[in-house]
Amino acid sequence: MRGFRVILDYPSGTAGAIVVVVFSLLAVFGPAIAPHGPFEVVYNTDHSVLRLSPPVANALFGTTNQGMDVFSQLLWGTRSALLVGLLSAVGSVVLGTAVGLASGYFGGWTDEVLMRLTDVAFGIPFLPFAMVVISLSKPSLGLVILLVVVFLWRIPARVIRAQVLSLRSRPFIWAARAAGASHARILARHIAPNVLPLSFLYAAIGVQTGVMLEAALSFLGFGDPNAMSWGAMLNAAFQAGAMRSAWWWVLPPGVALSLFVTAIFMITRAYEELLNPRLRAI
Amino acid sequence: MSRLAHAFSRRLLLLALTMWCILTILFALFRLLPGDPAAIFVDNNMSIEMIEHQKQLWGLNDPWWVQYIRYIANMALFRFGDSFFQNQTVAAILLEKITNTCAMIFPALVISVVLGTIIGAFAGWRRGGRLEQATVTTALILHSAPSFFVGILVLMVFSYQLRWLPPGGMTSPGGPEGFWDLITSADYLRHLILPCMVLVSREITGPVLLVRSSMLEIKGADFIDILRAKGLPEWRILVHATRNALLPLVTYIAVMTGLLLQGQVLLEIIFAWPGLGRELVTALADLDYQVAQGAVYVMALTILLLNLVADMLYGFIDPRSR
Amino acid sequence: MPLLEVENLEVRYRTQAGEAKAVDGVSFVIEPGMCLGLVGESGCGKSTVAKAILGILPPAGHIAGGAIRYAGRDLGGMTPRELRAMRWRDIALVPQSAMNALDPVYTVESQLAEAIAAHQAMPAARRRGRIAELFELVGLEPDRARDYPHQFSGGMRQRAMIAMAMVLDPGLIVADEPTTGLDVLVQDQILRRIRDLHDRLGKAMLLITHDMAVVAENSDRIVVMYAGRVMEYGGEAVFRTPYHPYTLGLCNAFPDLAYRARALISIPGTPPNLVAPPEGCRFQARCPFATARCGTPPPLIEVAPGHVVACHHVDQAERFRERAADPETWREPAR
Repeated sequence: MRGFRVILDYPSGTAGAIVVVVFSLLAVFGPAIAPHGPFEVVYNTDHSVLRLSPPVANALFGTTNQGMDVFSQLLWGTRSALLVGLLSAVGSVVLGTAVGLASGYFGGWTDEVLMRLTDVAFGIPFLPFAMVVISLSKPSLGLVILLVVVFLWRIPARVIRAQVLSLRSRPFIWAARAAGASHARILARHIAPNVLPLSFLYAAIGVQTGVMLEAALSFLGFGDPNAMSWGAMLNAAFQAGAMRSAWWWVLPPGVALSLFVTAIFMITRAYEELLNPRLRAI
Repeated sequence: MSRLAHAFSRRLLLLALTMWCILTILFALFRLLPGDPAAIFVDNNMSIEMIEHQKQLWGLNDPWWVQYIRYIANMALFRFGDSFFQNQTVAAILLEKITNTCAMIFPALVISVVLGTIIGAFAGWRRGGRLEQATVTTALILHSAPSFFVGILVLMVFSYQLRWLPPGGMTSPGGPEGFWDLITSADYLRHLILPCMVLVSREITGPVLLVRSSMLEIKGADFIDILRAKGLPEWRILVHATRNALLPLVTYIAVMTGLLLQGQVLLEIIFAWPGLGRELVTALADLDYQVAQGAVYVMALTILLLNLVADMLYGFIDPRSR
Repeated sequence: MPLLEVENLEVRYRTQAGEAKAVDGVSFVIEPGMCLGLVGESGCGKSTVAKAILGILPPAGHIAGGAIRYAGRDLGGMTPRELRAMRWRDIALVPQSAMNALDPVYTVESQLAEAIAAHQAMPAARRRGRIAELFELVGLEPDRARDYPHQFSGGMRQRAMIAMAMVLDPGLIVADEPTTGLDVLVQDQILRRIRDLHDRLGKAMLLITHDMAVVAENSDRIVVMYAGRVMEYGGEAVFRTPYHPYTLGLCNAFPDLAYRARALISIPGTPPNLVAPPEGCRFQARCPFATARCGTPPPLIEVAPGHVVACHHVDQAERFRERAADPETWREPAR
């Protein structure tokens, strides 16, 4: 909890936290306050479709070429973005922490196998691979999350292994060993608490990367066709050539994505300075 | 030297292992295709015998492990076969697309490294000023900004609103043919400016931050004091410091090129640049799997090789480790 | 006219705790051809004096008072251009750690050539000749000049640094702990080289060290510094018949000099905090002979011509010398 307060010590950290809280609220309550569904067509009073309309009272952020409400799409898109971000962050950090802990703590063959696996994972280019997998199966949010997890776990795994290695050589660990504590107990009582701050940091970075990658995949047309997301909105706008005429369609999803990603970045930056005081001097 | 050789062979082994894993995954993925893989290239008015003959020819009736070994061998020898839809070998298509991709990446890389080094060196040398703070903050924000949205914005402003620059492609219709004519033409340059700008805005942050922090470290080194005591002008001292600060940058450049290659997919779509990334997206959409797997393979191999180069290059560039 | 005059030099460092008076009113004079030894424990401010003379104080440090005059010209009153022109040509440095004093990515030769090029126009061929000549002088093979610093051993690097210091034939060479981090045997060789420069070439020298024996062997005049101040200043009498208890303690640490001491004795305790130094004599807290009077600033007393001591109790020096030889005297006080 102390960590959260320190983030607020930095003006940029505070700003980032506020933005993230706002987006989280939108993700939870957005669909409830959205005037329309994500794929719902908005009609004029004369029952004609309200196509490519600039912002009006009926459609706060204007409409798409198919007459869908950009504002509502943005709110629904926030939910998918944060859902992907959160789940892929949790998944990758749990997996990465587990691998890092096992690798660093047990060493030997466990370490060798797990680390070579990590090396291989580092060699896989994400976007091309994800595109192939998605196009060969059925695109869905779950698959995107799974792919992001497979892509992301490698970084926390390496960092946490290094941290565990340095912890393992400290006197209090072998003192606990000598006192007859079991592996499970040492991992839980002595190692995990010292590793958790790092896990948190990588979770935050994971949210950022997850959101970004989902947006990129959806923008390329490899997203879940049944879930509205910022990337999908940008894809539709791009395909329709909205950059020429319909700025109200392009800007909201792009600005939301940039704002959210930068906000998380500011939080991680502040948190990193807390974890690594040397950074402060730089 | 033997330590270096040992490290090198270990790296090479790891590269082979990674490549083998990637190929195996690719093989499995493309064999998981829904339905009969033959169905894709089989014409409706082919007879059963012709289909069987074709399957025999493609080796699709062999047991899976024979196909697997043949697949690995073919890929390792860059024998990607023919495109299903374009009347060319996959290798020829990929070669052309890679050239186009490089025509965008290379200028961006050079600008990012040169300009980034200069900015980073000055920021590190004159530490603590407002200008330095502003540089670092800008770099950090650019680093985290989603580049494909930046690309869309740039396109909206400079191509559609201001109409200064063409909205995409490598050339105007009827533009120059042939590689040299192309890349020396003003038309190509006009098409290059926007995507290049977007690439640089993101890629430059690495050199800026890296050179700045190694500069800060070098500034306190003893030999800098000696240079000053020798009565050298400030700019000479800065040259010495920068040369030292460049050492870690060398490895970074190779890594950066790998990242560029990946992030390239998005920019090539936005700017309709006929490169490798765009080819992959099109091939997947067209179900031209021969081209798609070739493209993924080439990308993965390039990135792995670049990482290998990055690891090894440092050993040669720093006189201390020779 | 003296070659170098340091007069009442004050250097301060900004630290988090406040301003530290690293050098506080230090004065000495170096005549042409003379070797002056500046001796004291680490952290006593002797390296800071060297840095101030060479104008390479770190950003946190600045000269707060006093003057440094080279051949009568005040360095403080020079423009940056004038300063740069006289650096290395007039005052050169053999630094503390030759390990890091050479730029790792340039050859040794190019770093020597660079010093020449910065000060005089000389064709490349003559430059190379000069460097080869200097390499011979310091006992290095001239064809090793094209090597990179990491290809040299520590001793070779320090020789290269000596050659570099000589490259413009400067009036004064500052040698700041030139043997730090070298093997004992190599230390000896390096010191012999430096003594050579002084004896054979008549170079004026400021030799900075913590090793009383080195000073005793090489110096014409000796300044003993402690906590930023001069404790004792004079000729070889400083180690033959020391007056200041701190000098006695330093001599004790080196057996061949120890005043009738039987064993190596070190001074207990640590130097005082320079942000808020004690009033009076700075050595009082560690001095085995301190009295209540030591709480007031000690006068500078000339005990013999050219031999000055900053101590209240110079009259008891005879007794001090006797007692200083007894290890019991330097036992940690029972406080």
